[in-house]
Amino acid sequence: MPMLRVKRRTIVAFLLPMLAMMAVINLWPILYTLYLSTTNYSEFTSDNYRFIGLENYRELLFSLDSDLFPVLWQTLLYVLVCVGSFLIVGMLTALVLNNPRVKGLPFWRVLLLLPWAAPSGITALIWKFLFQYDFGPFNQIGRLIFGPHFGIPWLLNPTLAFLSVVIVNVWLSYPFFTVVILGALQGIPGELREAARIDGAGPWQYFRHVTLPLVTPALVPATILSAITTFQMFNTVFLITQGGPVVSALKPGATEFVMIYMYNRILGATVANPHYGFIAAFAITLFVILAALTYLGSGLGTRSPQTSRFREAQA
Amino acid sequence: MSQHLPSAALEEKKRSTPFSTPAREEAKPLLARRAAAGLGARLGLVGIYVFLVVMAIFALFPLYYVVQASFAGAQNLYTTDLHLFPAHFTFANYVTAFTQEPLLNWIGNTLLVCGLTALCGLVCSTSGAYALARFRFAGRELTLRALLTLQAFPGLLALTAYYLLLNALNLLNNLLGLVLIYSAGAVVFCCWNTKTYLDGLPIELEQAALLDGATPFQAFWHIVLPLATPALAVAALFTFMTGWNEFALANLVLNANANGSNLTFILGLYSLQSDFRTPWGIFAASSVIVSIPLMLIFFFAQRYFRSGLAQGGLAN
Repeated sequence: MPMLRVKRRTIVAFLLPMLAMMAVINLWPILYTLYLSTTNYSEFTSDNYRFIGLENYRELLFSLDSDLFPVLWQTLLYVLVCVGSFLIVGMLTALVLNNPRVKGLPFWRVLLLLPWAAPSGITALIWKFLFQYDFGPFNQIGRLIFGPHFGIPWLLNPTLAFLSVVIVNVWLSYPFFTVVILGALQGIPGELREAARIDGAGPWQYFRHVTLPLVTPALVPATILSAITTFQMFNTVFLITQGGPVVSALKPGATEFVMIYMYNRILGATVANPHYGFIAAFAITLFVILAALTYLGSGLGTRSPQTSRFREAQA
Repeated sequence: MSQHLPSAALEEKKRSTPFSTPAREEAKPLLARRAAAGLGARLGLVGIYVFLVVMAIFALFPLYYVVQASFAGAQNLYTTDLHLFPAHFTFANYVTAFTQEPLLNWIGNTLLVCGLTALCGLVCSTSGAYALARFRFAGRELTLRALLTLQAFPGLLALTAYYLLLNALNLLNNLLGLVLIYSAGAVVFCCWNTKTYLDGLPIELEQAALLDGATPFQAFWHIVLPLATPALAVAALFTFMTGWNEFALANLVLNANANGSNLTFILGLYSLQSDFRTPWGIFAASSVIVSIPLMLIFFFAQRYFRSGLAQGGLAN
């Protein structure tokens, strides 16, 4: 690739703002967190903390009362349920919005994509009210149908709270998948449908053997991306449940996913003595997991056989 | 599955004539088959419309509910009966939101933070992207890799470190502290997107400009920037939007003052809702007021987003 020949000064001048910012605000906090994770730094020991090697990691990974694995497990479960639902709802809406027999497609498209445009933080707070036990409209509707004693403890029961934050996340995220899948669907040449029909393929066979393989290349990166974002999700869930409901003081709350767990251990109202060192070890462990997932994901996204097949089909 | 490749299907279509295929379908009389297919299709279409209506209700209900609640009096909301239309239509919630809550401050603070974030992120990422796209220097590959690795680290993980850093810079409880963190978070994505876009632009114009005696900065400013506008729009919007909903870091950095006028809107709305003395109608009115400009920006931004991203070639 041809490049411009310029003085070294010029190169430095162009790079400096970005590199300086990255060094101070991205790199330094990571290195400092790494350092913290090897100390016993906490609110009470902030004046005389010391290096304790890998003690925090040992406690995190091998101690029986470590919260790491329960929290990771419920986070992974959340990711699986959410991303699975995004795929199903996104696929169904995209297929319907791509169906030329439906009247008023632009109208439906705007309606169904509206959740995407609404600011997610605000909608999280709105959903929180919708789930409210006494005054929330969901239970009000239930009372209308099932009588005055009806009530679903949406945010008070651990399983239902988990379900609630799944519903909200599906509401927030399916439009992204609809758009991605719709884009891929519109790229499928019309002759294929005709060819499949002539060969006697039913709608399901057509979907299974023509649509799905052609949409997959677009879906793989979108799925990985949204799995990673869901894994790191903080805002929406925290605004609705704060990680609760907490059933026992010793166990993390039912919606206390990794980021919320960290946040609550540092800034939570009930934490008197935050163990910054221990939480730093938690953070570094998460970073390793995330980096590994991202690495695996990028490999999947670029080298999947589906992708190369799609390229061949297009060529 | 591999036998059913689309290319294979196409091949087969070319080989077979339209007359050879109906042979399989002779079992049923043609008319009956058509009628059955028509009925099936019609039922299918009904199913599709039912699905569309259900999805539309799902998509719209939260938004509709908050809008109607914003026009309802407080007594309408705190009952156990369902009210889907305001019984007494009133603007009282809006008046209260504007006069008794520091709503305009929140919007102003958020726009300030997001605007400065966009500016700061744009300056850093565009100049950096230009250097990475056009200059040859030792450590270029390394820088690109380092950027990608850093991006995998969510800022929230370094909560303690950020707190100490901003404390050392004397930027705690200062909107500028937030600007710094947000723009650093967005700079990697923007740098990559802009760099990929610049890679696709011809270098000859700049070479000619340099031969004619222009400085590299002049070439960058007068030739590259105007050509890269779509990518810059994407970068600006992306950085603008990283901060507008963010709760955790904002909550860490900003401490509410007596009337909470120094907060961003998400912190402010959260404090409104968790404060039991505030009627939900006022929260609803505030949400509507705050959402409208943001949704307008989103719709306006959307088309730039598509072209800038596609041409930026993120897919590669």
